Amino acid sequence: MKDIMTIVFRLTVSCLLAGLVMGTAFIFTSKAKKHNEHVNEQKVMFSLLGYTADQAKPASLALHEVYRYVVTDQQGLSVGYLVPMAGEDKAAYTFVAIGLDGAYLGSYPVALAQEEVSELGPRDQAIAAALGPEKTIRYADETIVVTNNGKRQAYLLPGEFPGFKTFIKVIMAVDQSFTVIGLEIMEHEEDPGLGGEIVQNYFKNQFKGKSFTALKKLGVAKVPLPDDYLKALDADKYGLTAADVAAVQELYQDKDIYALTGATISSRSVTNGVKGIVKKFAYRVSILDKVLAEQQIAVPF
Amino acid sequence: MATDKSNLQLVVNGILNENPIFRLVLSMCPAVGISTTVMNGFMLGVAVLFVQVFSSCTIAVFKNKIHPRIRIPTYTLTIATWVTVIDLVLAAYLPEAYAKMGIFIKLIVAFAIITMRLEMFACKESVNASFWDGIGMGLGFMVGMMAIGFIRELLGLGTILGYDILGFKPLLFFVLPFAGFFCVGLMMAFFNWIEIVYKRSKQRA
Amino acid sequence: MSNIKIIHRLLLSLVLVCVLPVLAQAQELIAGQSFGDDNEITVTFARPVDKAAVEEVGNYAVYEEPDPDIRLAVQSVSLADDGLTASVRFAEPLNTTQPHVVIINNIEPAGAAKFKVSKSYFGYLLSILISALLINNFVFTKYLGLCVFFGTSKRKDTAKGMGFTFTLVMVVSAIMSWFFYQYVLKPFDLNFLQIVIFIGLVSLTVQAVDTVLRKVNPALFNSFGVYLVLVIANCVIIAVPLILADNEYNFLETFMLSLGAGGGFLLALYLMSSVRERMEFANVPKTFKGVPIAFIVAGQFALAFLGFSGLSLF
Repeated sequence: MKDIMTIVFRLTVSCLLAGLVMGTAFIFTSKAKKHNEHVNEQKVMFSLLGYTADQAKPASLALHEVYRYVVTDQQGLSVGYLVPMAGEDKAAYTFVAIGLDGAYLGSYPVALAQEEVSELGPRDQAIAAALGPEKTIRYADETIVVTNNGKRQAYLLPGEFPGFKTFIKVIMAVDQSFTVIGLEIMEHEEDPGLGGEIVQNYFKNQFKGKSFTALKKLGVAKVPLPDDYLKALDADKYGLTAADVAAVQELYQDKDIYALTGATISSRSVTNGVKGIVKKFAYRVSILDKVLAEQQIAVPF
Repeated sequence: MATDKSNLQLVVNGILNENPIFRLVLSMCPAVGISTTVMNGFMLGVAVLFVQVFSSCTIAVFKNKIHPRIRIPTYTLTIATWVTVIDLVLAAYLPEAYAKMGIFIKLIVAFAIITMRLEMFACKESVNASFWDGIGMGLGFMVGMMAIGFIRELLGLGTILGYDILGFKPLLFFVLPFAGFFCVGLMMAFFNWIEIVYKRSKQRA
Repeated sequence: MSNIKIIHRLLLSLVLVCVLPVLAQAQELIAGQSFGDDNEITVTFARPVDKAAVEEVGNYAVYEEPDPDIRLAVQSVSLADDGLTASVRFAEPLNTTQPHVVIINNIEPAGAAKFKVSKSYFGYLLSILISALLINNFVFTKYLGLCVFFGTSKRKDTAKGMGFTFTLVMVVSAIMSWFFYQYVLKPFDLNFLQIVIFIGLVSLTVQAVDTVLRKVNPALFNSFGVYLVLVIANCVIIAVPLILADNEYNFLETFMLSLGAGGGFLLALYLMSSVRERMEFANVPKTFKGVPIAFIVAGQFALAFLGFSGLSLF
């Protein structure tokens, strides 16, 4: 009996000690983790837009996040966008509700601090509070509108789609006419050496410069990648100048995506995923723009 | 019953005589699963080294306080704690490397090598000896992982640590997921062969 | 937070009650629906319907469930001669991994019919099982549990014993982990304790099975008891809870995944032990004797299992 007591006592003490160590580690790392994730994401976004370490981004460049929600109420489904408001006061956000047919339903000011807007929990609560209890919301996706001197320059579209094994997470940049500026694979679990090659420049850069019309009917070709195109896609490695690259890009602009050897399914799912993201976005942004213009909601983009 | 080996001997013992991968044939999952590049091997090696050293020291410090009946649960708890710590740290500060390791960092908790060292060594020896033994075992694991990674990266991708060495890809086969089995099997056979040759020459001498 | 959730639930049921009459109507009219070809949905009606109304493309509104604002373009609708089966064709291939919502307006005097088309849930569950069993076999394609795999695959009897014990512990501990994850770790934001909690639950399960088996069926314990200790040292057993926490699986999916993982391990062990029993009579080079040749054989199995990848039954 005494034995059991000591065992229980010692186990409790060791559990407490372990909890203490893990708790401390968690508190110290959780902030750094969030910060680093944010920094990394920003870095990827700017590099997609063409601003790398040697070419700093201009100060006039600004990113504006737009969050899309699906709203359920008695009338059925509708969508809503959380947009930032123009003006000096940076903490002002508005939730614009739009019907499925594209009609304007209403706008609701949302009380939300700037630091909180990127966090799912506080954002959801603030929007739910602004909409009132009759409506339920579900977060759908996020778009980042890039402006330069207040003029729209590009859109950054984070998204995910099923790959060969599990989901593939990407961020892509498109310009105002939805021509792809760049594609970056953020997370994937494809096989190394096969589907894992989607992260390589010679695959992901194939999407660069594809116009919206070309993208809409983009397919996957199961033929080997031509040598000159390969070099142009991986220009840094082969030391090509920007002019050379542009000339070759021009040649292959309307061609299909060249499938990776031994990973046709992965190549196809990336192509279809990218296609789907851009097509859906193009449709949505046109509706959102129309509503914003009609209702004269002042947004900074 | 303190060990009579010096610190250096303990370290060398971990790397050569009792190499966790090639000699003890423990912790094979990462050796097959993510040994595709030298860097992967190195990163996981660092994580294992950390967990092994800290767990060994923790157990060595508290060895008199641990009730023999709950020995194994205490070991598991200790290892799980340190694995959680390294998992959190890597996720926060080295997100890219962490993403490549995937689930394997968390799986260090089930590595037989660490529990075995605690049971065989740390619970009997001094803190100092346990520390060096932990270093030896961790380094042994790291060296093993890096050796497999070296062969697979060189033959599969023609690179070392991401730098292009050969300029072409000799045998893409080696970097494909399942080739880990072949690679480890062939390397073990190679070490066996060395041992046989060595013994034979000794007998002749 | 929980208050909001309750309100959400109440609201959802309210919405359901409001929509129910429409749904009931739909259920009366629509007898069946399924994905046909790449760009086709097949609808079966319970009673003959007006051909003109059914074949009017403008009457249709179809969208993927998560994207209600994006309507898919219906190209043509054709009603079969029996007047009961309609085939709705779309301009572009459908993404059948998502459930599709179809609304047909003006089809009956009563108005619209609304229904959901999705792949069958049972098929989805089976696909999780098959995936864990063959396509993503934990030993041959995820390279987990290798220590125990090489240790216990020398004899067929041992392999079977280990496999069954493992599957049992796997299922029990995965289900317990799921409950813990859903009702303790997630609500209280304690995700960083995952590793400790999961390994603790595994040890607990092993201890429990050990005690119960010893009391209830000593004969069975004598044959399987030895393997119980080995179960803890197997990474698969801790990998499965981690995977299901990552993927937010629900209860049934968890059950299927753990069953598949255990079954896959059993399958791998059995296959391997069959080969290794034969190999004892083979003339293996001296340097390859023992573990090295086992690795080569496992590599060949892995190569063979690669053939399952991309397999989709449902």
